[in-house]
Amino acid sequence: MYILVLFLPLLSAIVSGLFGRKIGARGACILTSSCIVISWIISCYIFYEIVINSSETYIKLWRWFDSEVLTTYLGLQFDSLTSIMLIVITSISALVHIYSTGYMFGDPHIPRFMSYLSLFTFLMIVLVTSDNYVQLFIGWEGVGLCSYLLINFWLTRIKANQAAMKAMLINRVGDIGLVLAMIKIIEEFGALEFSTIYSILSLTPAGYIDREGITIICLLLFLGAVGKSAQLGLHSWLPDAMEGPTPVSALIHAATMVTAGVFLIIRSGPFFEGSSLALTTITIVGALTAFFAATVGVVQNDLKKVVAYSTCSQLGYMVMICGLSNYSVSLFHLTNHAFFKALLFLSAGSVIHAVRDEQDMRKMGGLINSLFFTYVMVLIGSLSLMGFPYLTGFYSKDLILELIYEKHYIMFAYWLGGLSALLTAFYSIRLIYLTFIANTNSKQEVFVKAQESPWNVGLPLFLLACGSIFIGYFGKELMLSNTVFPIISPVIKIVPLLLSIFGAFLAFMVYDSFSLKYKYLNIRDLIENTGLRGWILNFYYMVYTFFNSAWQFNYIINNFIVLNILNFAHVITYRVIDRGLLEIIGPNGISRVLIRLTQNISNFQSGMMFNYVLIMIIFTVLLISGYRYF
Amino acid sequence: MGLKYIRVGVLLWILGVLGVVLNRKNLIIMLMSIELMLLAVSLLFLKISLSLDNIIGQIFTMKILTVAAAESAIGLAIFVAYYRIRGTIAVSSLNLLKG
Repeated sequence: MYILVLFLPLLSAIVSGLFGRKIGARGACILTSSCIVISWIISCYIFYEIVINSSETYIKLWRWFDSEVLTTYLGLQFDSLTSIMLIVITSISALVHIYSTGYMFGDPHIPRFMSYLSLFTFLMIVLVTSDNYVQLFIGWEGVGLCSYLLINFWLTRIKANQAAMKAMLINRVGDIGLVLAMIKIIEEFGALEFSTIYSILSLTPAGYIDREGITIICLLLFLGAVGKSAQLGLHSWLPDAMEGPTPVSALIHAATMVTAGVFLIIRSGPFFEGSSLALTTITIVGALTAFFAATVGVVQNDLKKVVAYSTCSQLGYMVMICGLSNYSVSLFHLTNHAFFKALLFLSAGSVIHAVRDEQDMRKMGGLINSLFFTYVMVLIGSLSLMGFPYLTGFYSKDLILELIYEKHYIMFAYWLGGLSALLTAFYSIRLIYLTFIANTNSKQEVFVKAQESPWNVGLPLFLLACGSIFIGYFGKELMLSNTVFPIISPVIKIVPLLLSIFGAFLAFMVYDSFSLKYKYLNIRDLIENTGLRGWILNFYYMVYTFFNSAWQFNYIINNFIVLNILNFAHVITYRVIDRGLLEIIGPNGISRVLIRLTQNISNFQSGMMFNYVLIMIIFTVLLISGYRYF
Repeated sequence: MGLKYIRVGVLLWILGVLGVVLNRKNLIIMLMSIELMLLAVSLLFLKISLSLDNIIGQIFTMKILTVAAAESAIGLAIFVAYYRIRGTIAVSSLNLLKG
């Protein structure tokens, strides 16, 4: 039963991938979806047994490799963290599978697509169920690989190729951190099983284990999480990953891949408790990520990129709260976020589908009449994302901000988080306004023919909307039972909510009345009159471009890191070392020297008789005179 | 008294060597120098045979004289054949084979 939750997605991946030609597109859709749905039912049962009945389960499968210093088993560990992650992964994945059957209808490679989706789910389940770091690493690398395959699904598009390579390579940077962390863990603890390591950690509260070693381990693990969870610095693969089909974005950004980094931090919680430096780093990086992604999301024009940056922002929240040791809150936000973000992505896919694959929000508008169902879905998702009271996001997001408020030494995280909440509300409303409410900018034939998608696209949306409304309320007793709620004044408690509502109203004002009614009257006249027109416009363009191009991170990374590394690779390693030094010491130089030497020697044979005689006599004399010495 | 002959023999041999090495013009002189070397060697054999009171040196001298005669005969024959083909027997014209 417990192994089946792993086995079923693998089975569906293999069957759909290798025998897709036999079972056909329809067969692949039905098979993979039903396998994942069964897997979801099983994981619900696991949740019941593990969390409700509180009986944690450990399964040792077989010995994997065995040396004198280190023995590693393939093993499964089902505790409450794993079972909650299982629920999240399998439910989102099942809905994405069902959604894909409608969304990808007509695509020529559906069996391959479904196979990749199932493989992704399988590897993510491997990641969350493993009981040691090596097996976790299999899943970790596997989801990276599957993200490559899925982003690159339309492999004839050069943009998709580039985005997929970018995702893979940037993830590798973090993976190196994870590998180094594992090596350091072996050095310090001699084991890689979670149970062993954590019991050692809890048995020796101080002194025995090297504190600096733990700090190094934590920072390296966090580097891994930064890569996978798209924190500031290694985030730039995430918005580019939008080149894949929309269900892929939903799967990668909502439930599976980006949550792996947060999962790693939660799983490695006992480590992080041992290092205050690592905790502070996590909080700061998380808060900066949340703020950064929120500012960038405000000015994006691509429908999917707005949602992608909001994912990045929410991941910043999750990581930030991990830095305050409130891992269960982080997990709770992860769960809630999975539901409303999947809802947002899949609704965005539905919109994109309806307007003939147009992703630019500036070319949409006025879809509220033709796509009312999707509008409601986006509205639920966005309100949940904004932390509107009584919706899912409210229970976790506001709690995160309240918990952060207590910690005075990182007060700025609270304000960054609060500002991000404001900006989140702003861009959510902006998205809704530009897509659904504003006057239409799309072509007539597209606008007239825009209509709702079939039932298998609508049903997952509906279920996810239910999740986005109720999960927070139902889950808060289960997941937050051991959280100590901070005692702070109601004024502070209400600040994030007020900020969100203010952001929402601001967006509505800017896009409804401000831009339409006053733009052409007051503002322009005002600017013209003050005589600062050029200056103000320049400033405006500068700021807008700065945010629109994501704080120029791509530019900086490409120009100052990637380009230099490429130059180094060409000039130093290729031209100087490979084609220079090694060739001169190696084959080329030796052959050149030998040829010159032999030519010089053969020049002795000049063809002149007397030279021959001289040489003969000299060498005969040498031979005779040196005879006794040889 | 004994070393006097040996010095003469060695000097003669060196003269023969120099005649071969330094001679750039005439092939006949080269052959003659070779003959001179052989004669110098024969002289040394004789002297050493006398000094050691041993007959083998004289036997060798006889054989060397024979060999020298045969060699000069064959050498002259080669020169004649060569002259017939090339029309010259200058030493410096013998440079067709190079390394």
